[in-house]
Amino acid sequence: MATTTLTPAASAYRTGLYEWLTTTDHKRIGILYIVNSFIFFFIGGLFALGVRTELAQPGLQFVHDELLYNQLFTMHGTVMIFLFIIPMLVGFGNYVAPLQIGAPDMAFPRINALSFWMLPLAGVLLLMGFLTGGAAQAGWTSYSPLAQDRPLSSTGPGEDLWIMALTLIGTSSILGGINFLVTIFKMRAPGMTMFRMPILVWTVLVTSVLVVMATPVLTSALIMLFIDRNYGGHFFDPGGPNGGGGSAILWQNVFWFYSHPAVYIMVLPAMGMISEILPVFSRKPLFGYKAFVFATAGIGALGFSVWAHHMFTTGQVFLPFFSLMTFLIAVPTGVKMFNWIFTLFRGKLTFSTPLLFALGFLSMFLIGGINGAFSAAVPVDFALQDTYWVVAHLHYVLFGGSVFGVMAGLYYWFPKMTGRMLNETLGKIQFVLMFVGFNLTFFPMHQLGLAGMPRRIADYASDAGWNDLNLAATIGGFTIAASTLPLIWNVFSSLRAGKPAGDDPWEANTLEWATSSPPPPYNFDHLPEIRSERPLFDLRHGRTVVH
Amino acid sequence: MSTAPRSRPSSLAIAGWLVAAAFGIALAAWVVLNAGTIWNSFFPPQAKSVEGQEIRNLYDIVFIFAVVIFAVVEGLIIWSVIRYRRKPGDDELPPQTHGNNLAEITWTLIPTVIVLFLFVVSWQTLNSVEAVSPDPGLKVRAVAGQFQWSFDYLPTDATGDTKALFTVTAPVGPDGGLVLPAGQVTHLYLKSPDVIHAFYVPQFLFKRDVVPGLTNQFDLDIPASDAGQTYRGQCAELCGVGHRIMLFEVHALAQADFKAWMDKQIAAANATPPPAPSGAAAGPSIPLVAQNVKFDQSTLTVPATGFTIHYDNKDAGTPHDFVILDNAGSKVYGSPVVTGPKGADFPVPAIAAGTYKFECSIHPTLMFGTLTVQ
Repeated sequence: MATTTLTPAASAYRTGLYEWLTTTDHKRIGILYIVNSFIFFFIGGLFALGVRTELAQPGLQFVHDELLYNQLFTMHGTVMIFLFIIPMLVGFGNYVAPLQIGAPDMAFPRINALSFWMLPLAGVLLLMGFLTGGAAQAGWTSYSPLAQDRPLSSTGPGEDLWIMALTLIGTSSILGGINFLVTIFKMRAPGMTMFRMPILVWTVLVTSVLVVMATPVLTSALIMLFIDRNYGGHFFDPGGPNGGGGSAILWQNVFWFYSHPAVYIMVLPAMGMISEILPVFSRKPLFGYKAFVFATAGIGALGFSVWAHHMFTTGQVFLPFFSLMTFLIAVPTGVKMFNWIFTLFRGKLTFSTPLLFALGFLSMFLIGGINGAFSAAVPVDFALQDTYWVVAHLHYVLFGGSVFGVMAGLYYWFPKMTGRMLNETLGKIQFVLMFVGFNLTFFPMHQLGLAGMPRRIADYASDAGWNDLNLAATIGGFTIAASTLPLIWNVFSSLRAGKPAGDDPWEANTLEWATSSPPPPYNFDHLPEIRSERPLFDLRHGRTVVH
Repeated sequence: MSTAPRSRPSSLAIAGWLVAAAFGIALAAWVVLNAGTIWNSFFPPQAKSVEGQEIRNLYDIVFIFAVVIFAVVEGLIIWSVIRYRRKPGDDELPPQTHGNNLAEITWTLIPTVIVLFLFVVSWQTLNSVEAVSPDPGLKVRAVAGQFQWSFDYLPTDATGDTKALFTVTAPVGPDGGLVLPAGQVTHLYLKSPDVIHAFYVPQFLFKRDVVPGLTNQFDLDIPASDAGQTYRGQCAELCGVGHRIMLFEVHALAQADFKAWMDKQIAAANATPPPAPSGAAAGPSIPLVAQNVKFDQSTLTVPATGFTIHYDNKDAGTPHDFVILDNAGSKVYGSPVVTGPKGADFPVPAIAAGTYKFECSIHPTLMFGTLTVQ
């Protein structure tokens, strides 16, 4: 282990604001990403509460202006996907990946800072829509021609600001993806071969490939949509006041060509995080390391051939191909699930908060996978598409999966980032509230969808039979909101007076726990020998030595 | 990871467990009492079309697989979690298993076989649902515009763009909606003049997007036994501020009733419109513009002796009308429907002084105002 005497109180950093604004240290940038993402998590959560409050009962009670309602769910989706989940996972990757491969920093520290600082700017641009006559209101998918600048569609600058914000975020992602690729390929410590890399690093690697290949497609599409709206282009608009020629379906193809791989961008690193956590708290190695690597690569590759399963009801898709590919992508996902379970199997489990959230990920992501299979069966999707079933499905994947993974990661790496442990009792209260609230919110949406409730409506008939389930979902939504209070309290109180963590509070396996908490600039004074994917385990049990 | 002897649980933890137990018992009791309703809520509504019934059968197959897979995998998770807890004070390492190739092959192959099976059965259902009859009994073009449905009834030799025999402009109510013959195949064309909408009837377990610039089509086959029923439909693709008001109804009529209804509609469409009553422009002419599914006025003041609404519908392809309602909500006056861009004069006879509501009956939540009669 690193022979360091740093204590949490004597931070290795200067703490001035100037230092944070100008830093190129991957750890500080990682923390900036995480803090920024949490701020947008709360903003996006408020939008969701607005939606749920309106839907609690039939009738328009809370959001009287239905345009505002459309803005709320549009901005909820946009903020949560582009300003919370994706950057949050980039933040963890930024903090942890260089440490796990024994690197002193990212390959391009200044580009790393640039990637981050585009995000708050994009967020401000996006939210400014509310001050300029209405934010974007065409849904986070922004289907054309609804996203065109036309009466009854998206007049006003809100949609243009949405396009600009997403273009910035896309550029930030591309720069970040290249940075990760170069870092992982060129900056691994001696002995850290590809097949000794932690699974989190593998998932960041595959995610970066997806980002670099898919995001330029979205960015180009966004620019074309901007031209459509402002300079009379006809890329995506078949009609309109000046005649047409464009294709509404083309937008969906290019949008989903990015946005389906984006689902894996949002879930693979979370899978990587729990693949770090489950072995540590089971005191066993990850079951089937290589199968895991191949499954991750397989998901990444198949992820490019399933985008049109979002478009089954358009009547413009070659259905059997996309149905088959969508079914097949369940196979590598299933492989991962069984490997996680067999990591627990015959282990010795310690139920600390990171493990609880990781188990929450396993059981909720399982549901998100299974209810996805219904939509892969094309005729069943004809019934379910654009109903609340889809809302249930995507939240079981992105909340039950990604958010639970993020929470597990936060409790797991907070001690490394700050030198202090988060409080376990508060963590468990948060877990219970979040788990119950999550299921109460999103499980009834399956039944609402089956009963025929479409997405994105502000109101519904009181005799449609949807009242009780909607009320349950709203109560669940507020329970999720309540679960963030112990989290906030936990973070602030633990930063001030949490238990000091030491270098390696969890008896972990990977290199980030070989340095001090928090690590010094450039991370390592000494590195242990790397002979397997668990260098610290080997060191602890006397199989290797520190050089 | 402390090895200290286990301390007694705190009172907070005990209270937490008690609350959880009480909650669990209440939940279990509620589930037992409502078992039937809960079970049914995991299935789509009973299908009311032949295609819908096939989709329902496929749903049931997928559902069985889903429940079994969920039970097995979730069971494995829960069992591992309960069985392999670390005992206090246990510092020994468990066996360091790194993997097992046979296990990996097994849980790659079995899911592959399952998903391939599901793919094949859903492909078969797909071919059957998508099949189009060469000889449909009726052809209808559903036109979805912001924010209303209208239904063009076409000659049976029609293609998607043929001129309609007649059009039903009211999407709901006894005089409107999509009226179909039960026991006969109907071929539907879907057209949109503006943005993307989706034709969705939950009881048909089916939806299809209505895409501007394209004509989507499908067959709908309502069994003869369902004659006399009405089903609710709704736009399922976000189409703007009025998305949720884009409701419609499907009325299934027995074939004889349907023929009578169809003949009546054709006769009405072919009848020469009655000439405007002479001297119709009684009283002052009040201009009212309908544009972007909004009226340009929210208040109108008119004399009790009668007046004429000089109506101007500027929304291309979108029908509007002008209706006066009294405080009880009953209709005092209703104009014909005007599809824009088009103007029309609506002579309104004398009505009693007082305050009324005026609206477009096709877009009542977006187009309305107060009418003061003096």
